[in-house]
Amino acid sequence: MSAASDVRRLHSLPIRIPERKILYRLGYKGRNAQVSDTVSEMITEQEKRLGTLLRPEALYRILNYDETNQHPVFKGAAKVALCICTIGEELERSSAALIEDNEMLRGFILDSFGSEAAEETAIQADRIIAQEARGLGLWPSKRFSPGYSIWDIREQSYMFATLPASEIGVRLTDTFMMVPRKSVSFRINFYRNREQTTRRFG
Amino acid sequence: MEQDTLLSEMTQSIIDGNRNQAEILAREAVSQGMDLNAVIEQGFVPGIQRVGDLWEQGEYFLPELITSAECMKAVMNILQPELDKANIRARSLGKVVIGTIEGDIHDIGKSLVASMLGANGFDVVDLGADVKLDRFIATAQEVEADLICVSALLTTTMLLQKTLVAHLREQGLLDRFKVMVGGAPVNQRWAQDIGAHGYAENAMTAVQAVKELLGSRLEP
Ligand code: B12
Repeated sequence: MSAASDVRRLHSLPIRIPERKILYRLGYKGRNAQVSDTVSEMITEQEKRLGTLLRPEALYRILNYDETNQHPVFKGAAKVALCICTIGEELERSSAALIEDNEMLRGFILDSFGSEAAEETAIQADRIIAQEARGLGLWPSKRFSPGYSIWDIREQSYMFATLPASEIGVRLTDTFMMVPRKSVSFRINFYRNREQTTRRFG
Repeated sequence: MEQDTLLSEMTQSIIDGNRNQAEILAREAVSQGMDLNAVIEQGFVPGIQRVGDLWEQGEYFLPELITSAECMKAVMNILQPELDKANIRARSLGKVVIGTIEGDIHDIGKSLVASMLGANGFDVVDLGADVKLDRFIATAQEVEADLICVSALLTTTMLLQKTLVAHLREQGLLDRFKVMVGGAPVNQRWAQDIGAHGYAENAMTAVQAVKELLGSRLEP
């Protein structure tokens, strides 16, 4: 598919990751979880590298309902926004190199930052898309991704047929996985009536 | 230093996750010409076992486990070449081939399992992610593995765990290699249904499960 003119690209998204999210991923779950100084220092050390390792980008398009493949998940929407986000592959390369070098913990910490950063990129894109929906006088749904509930992961091929993901360096394997790994895809339905969405508006 | 003192310091270095100290002690053992199998089994291994206990008791968290596993690996990087030189085989609890299944590029969970198994005395061949079914089988045959560990993080790719077990069965290899499955969508029930021998929820319980699974086939 040729790069459609209505494709929008977001970059330099401000990514901030609260430390507690990393701690949770590292397995500190109980209330009495004691984080040692060594681990704290390692987290800070990897966090400092994020500036050069993250390249958060997103690509999205807003379609009228009848321009979509009319999958049941789009039902009732006036428009649908489809989005693919990534943090690029620098971070995962670096994390793999650490693990290779018997620095499993540092590698795992960095991988955890990568997962959170991918998630955070999606959150940022979500916010921008939701504003755009409101600008159109429509009510955005929450963010939903292929691979969850009734939206089968195979629908990734529809996402990739609709968005020129290679522009942000993302491709889909024939088993529907995105490369780089730290990538997220999602939809937001735009509804005519507020009652159609469970999203909260502040 | 007395050998007994050395051995207990080795144990402590693993418990503390002190890699420098562990490496110093390993080199010391080499230069003193100590029995390296004893060094491993009475010096370092009790450390990693204690770390496992501390985790079970909620004293230690995953990062401490990983740090101690790194120490064990660093120690083995020093001791293994010496064992090889002397033509001594380090006693292994069993040989494990591990990888993430074909089509699935999730890596980190599998790597954690591999590193915990390695630290706990298993000989681990890590094939990485997106590993073709044939490659699991060929490698297991080549290295004469006791166990094949297969990770899958997607409901789509976990189906191939079933195919792998079926292939092994067809080729009459299911008696020769035990199969253990894991990954977020996988559970005990799935393992049973597909005829795998074992399942574990995380890297630490995997160590215990593999010990139990291979216990029966290893010499005392
Ligand atoms: C972090 C995460 C992400 C991150 C990073 C992904 C990555 N590849 O690095 C981000 C945000 C980018 C992401 C994206 C997506 N994700 Co995601 N993700 C997760 C999450 C929350 C954790 C995975 C993880 O890294 N865990 C940390 C590691 C350490 O744990 P682990 O891999 O589970 O391994 C442990 C155990 O399972 C076990 N184990 C693992 N292997 C083995 C093997 C053996 C033999 C044994 C004994 C034990 C064992 O031991 C390990 C260590 O303790 C899981 C849900 C979950 N709770 O697992 C979903 C999950 C895997 N994702 C899911 C989905 C749908 C997606 C997306 C498709 C969504 C989308 N459309 O954008 C994308 C796909 C990304 C891609 N590249 O294609 C689904 C998959 C469902 C399905 N249909 O199959 C899951 C299961 C969430 C869910 N509840 O539905 N994801």
